[in-house]
Amino acid sequence: MKKILVADDEMSIRLLYSEELKEEGYDVITASNGKEALEIVSREPLDLVILDIKMPEMSGIEVLRQIKEKYPDLPVLLSSAYSEYKQDFGTWASEEYLVKSSDLEDLKAAVRRHLKN
Amino acid sequence: MPLNRLTFLTNLIDLFTSTVSYEERLANFVYLVARNFNVDQVLFFGLDKNRSRLFLNADSRKSVLRPRLEFALGEGIVGQTAQQRTPLILQMSQLPVQPENQPLLALVPNVQTLACFPVADDNFLYGVLLFISRVSREFLPVEKETILIACRMLAGNIRQALLHEEAKKRIAELAVLYEIAKATGATRELPVLLEQVVSISAKVLNARGASLRIVDEVSQQIHVSSEYGIVPRDVPPVGTLFCEKPLLTGELPSITSELTNSQGEKHYFAGIPLNLKGHLKGMLCLYDKMGANHSFQQFDQENIQLLQTLAGMATSSIENALAFQQIEALAAKNARMVNILTVLHDISAVLMTTIEMDKILTILVRALTFKNAMDYDRAIIFLVDKRRQLLVESRHAYQPSAASTLPLRQALLADLGNPEEATPVGPHPIEVPLRPDQGILAQSVLFRKPFHIMRADQHPQVNQQIREQLSGQEFIAVPLLAKEEATGVIVIDNHFTQRPLDEEDMHFLTMFANQAALAIENSRLVETIEASSKELTLIRERMLESDRLAAMSSMAEGLAHEIRNPLVSIGGFARRISKQVKAGEELKWHELKKYVDVIVDEVGRLEKILRQMFDYTGDSLGYFREHEINGLVEDALTLIHRDLEKYNIQVVKEYADLPPVYCDERQIKLVFYNIFQNAQQAMENGGTLTIRTFPLEKKDGLYAAIAVSDTGGGIAPELVYNIFNPFFTTKEQGTGLGLSIAQRIVSRHYGDIEINNELGKGITFTVTLPIAKYCLLPLKNSTSGTTSLEEV
Repeated sequence: MKKILVADDEMSIRLLYSEELKEEGYDVITASNGKEALEIVSREPLDLVILDIKMPEMSGIEVLRQIKEKYPDLPVLLSSAYSEYKQDFGTWASEEYLVKSSDLEDLKAAVRRHLKN
Repeated sequence: MPLNRLTFLTNLIDLFTSTVSYEERLANFVYLVARNFNVDQVLFFGLDKNRSRLFLNADSRKSVLRPRLEFALGEGIVGQTAQQRTPLILQMSQLPVQPENQPLLALVPNVQTLACFPVADDNFLYGVLLFISRVSREFLPVEKETILIACRMLAGNIRQALLHEEAKKRIAELAVLYEIAKATGATRELPVLLEQVVSISAKVLNARGASLRIVDEVSQQIHVSSEYGIVPRDVPPVGTLFCEKPLLTGELPSITSELTNSQGEKHYFAGIPLNLKGHLKGMLCLYDKMGANHSFQQFDQENIQLLQTLAGMATSSIENALAFQQIEALAAKNARMVNILTVLHDISAVLMTTIEMDKILTILVRALTFKNAMDYDRAIIFLVDKRRQLLVESRHAYQPSAASTLPLRQALLADLGNPEEATPVGPHPIEVPLRPDQGILAQSVLFRKPFHIMRADQHPQVNQQIREQLSGQEFIAVPLLAKEEATGVIVIDNHFTQRPLDEEDMHFLTMFANQAALAIENSRLVETIEASSKELTLIRERMLESDRLAAMSSMAEGLAHEIRNPLVSIGGFARRISKQVKAGEELKWHELKKYVDVIVDEVGRLEKILRQMFDYTGDSLGYFREHEINGLVEDALTLIHRDLEKYNIQVVKEYADLPPVYCDERQIKLVFYNIFQNAQQAMENGGTLTIRTFPLEKKDGLYAAIAVSDTGGGIAPELVYNIFNPFFTTKEQGTGLGLSIAQRIVSRHYGDIEINNELGKGITFTVTLPIAKYCLLPLKNSTSGTTSLEEV
């Protein structure tokens, strides 16, 4: 069973994403901020990470940078309410940048795409 | 008839004391002597002034034609007697006749005896007395003695006559000098004075003509001259004669000379220099002294002496008159200067009354052409058109036919709005390209130089168009200079009166042009300022508009971000519920409850966001109520917390318990939002935002104070005073409106914003707002202004 980390400061988003992804048959762990996400990445063997960008303590971009430094092969998807972070070079290291939507089909498709590799 | 000595001497005494003239006495004397001594003829030879020759003066025989007889001293019996001063008696029978005496023997036939006696006193010989007898005659000693007595009496009488003659002459001279003195003292008019001097000189000496010329010492040209009678034209003029002499220094001697004209006629002249203090002032000349029978004679030494005396007197009078003439000329010049300066002053005062270009130009052309102002016949003003690089005729005018009766200032201002005068340039104003090869006008502007052209039609540099206008005359062109720059050119001429233009015209026109240029420059500046001001107002309005749009769009963006997360959650869970319901599976109630709770929570969150947004941007009508200031500050902070986090800005809060403040909640939130935003923008690389609230007692009561400090390094001290000005900003993207709006709102709340800028550290804004209690009860508690915070 593939293991996915969802990091978002919004409790309702964490709940929505984990419910949907579990239904797809993945094992889902959540983190409510950047620091917590990095701890989990260093502790648990993961297949994919979904990161919110605007989080307290540490932004998703910084988390992405540190993950890619240590685990360049671990796929990371960015999921943000804002589209303008696409202009930030820091986000380009991610596998995909997704703007949050209540329709999670795009997200799930992206997860499937990157888990194959 | 024997000599009756007593009778003879008595007769002589009678004769010499008679009042008859000298010539008649002499004639009677020789007759008396001839009769008494019984001889045929008695002659008197007088010694001339040079004491070298003797001339026949009197004859006892009154012949119609007196022969012309003269002898040199020592020549013949007459000359010898005079030389030896002793009587000589010649008997023809005894001696051969000397040839020198032959003319005497021719007078009477068969002369036998010649006797000659000297006429002299103790000092001088005056002549000799000659006796001629046809019979041989001896002179007895008593006869000789008697004759010698008679001769001495005659000598005395002649001396008296000469003295009398001399005295008469001196008196005549004195009379002349008196006349001259009277004439020269009576007038200061140089021409009149000269006329009198020449006419008196000529009359006194009985000269045919006279002239007087005064030479200008500087130019050595003849300054003034006067003539009287006939001055011969075809003889070399005296001017050339005395110009050959060294001029101006040393005393020039008087000259007498003889000149022969082309017809071979002889003319005589005397030149008397007018010397004053060693300087030659001029020359008095007399021509052709008239003698008997209208013959011309040379002037003698006595004439010259008299003329010199006369010239000496005239010189000082002429000098006085010259000085007076100079003073008068200076006074006239001064009067003209004062007049012109007064006119210039009036013109400048009038120019001050308007800044409208049309009116200024009208005033200028009037000032140039009005009789009581600059008084030129015609004037044209050209102005520089910078864009097209042209000189364009902007106004021209002629002197009005009827002079205005108004004082100058009123006349210049009268009917200024008159449209006829406002556009007097024809449909095709003269245009001159601003290039040096385009003639005088362009050159005047380009080289900032005035020009005085004597003959416009013959000057190669005068533009064809202008030449036609000026019809070949003298004119002056003066550039209009303001701040080293030529903005135009003024052209004037005297087309109708033909009054010549001079240095003074140039001078005053230049002064006039300076004033004119300033007035024109001021008018142009004001026009520019007005245009700029209009443009600024437009820009300001546009900026305000764009700022409103920017604020709205920024708010809309924030709104979009704030609602996306809840929307994603609501939508996401709604889809999950929908999926479960559609699948017809057995419903997991506890899961559904969880989803619905999330939806409810998120919707509540959305509503809260909306409330905040619309409270903030809502209508601007003031809605004043009592509010806890700390709460409003906190609300404003939540509006910006996203940005503070983004730029890693720590927030430190020190809130004191404060009584409520009477205010419009939304406006006060906006004040702090703007201050926070300003602080955040100053700390783009992170920092600390410190918010401190505390009570503050001021002279007029208790205030709530909110101090907001950043660590952004502050701004340059010279910029601090601008910080509340609209549109002032030190940031690339700021509009500069935020703090200005904040200040306006605070002052509307009777509060204050103070700024404390610490360069290198940061800025602290302290907002003070009056405590509600004092605002609500200003009259009741007016005496308790010093109430402390504890009591409140």
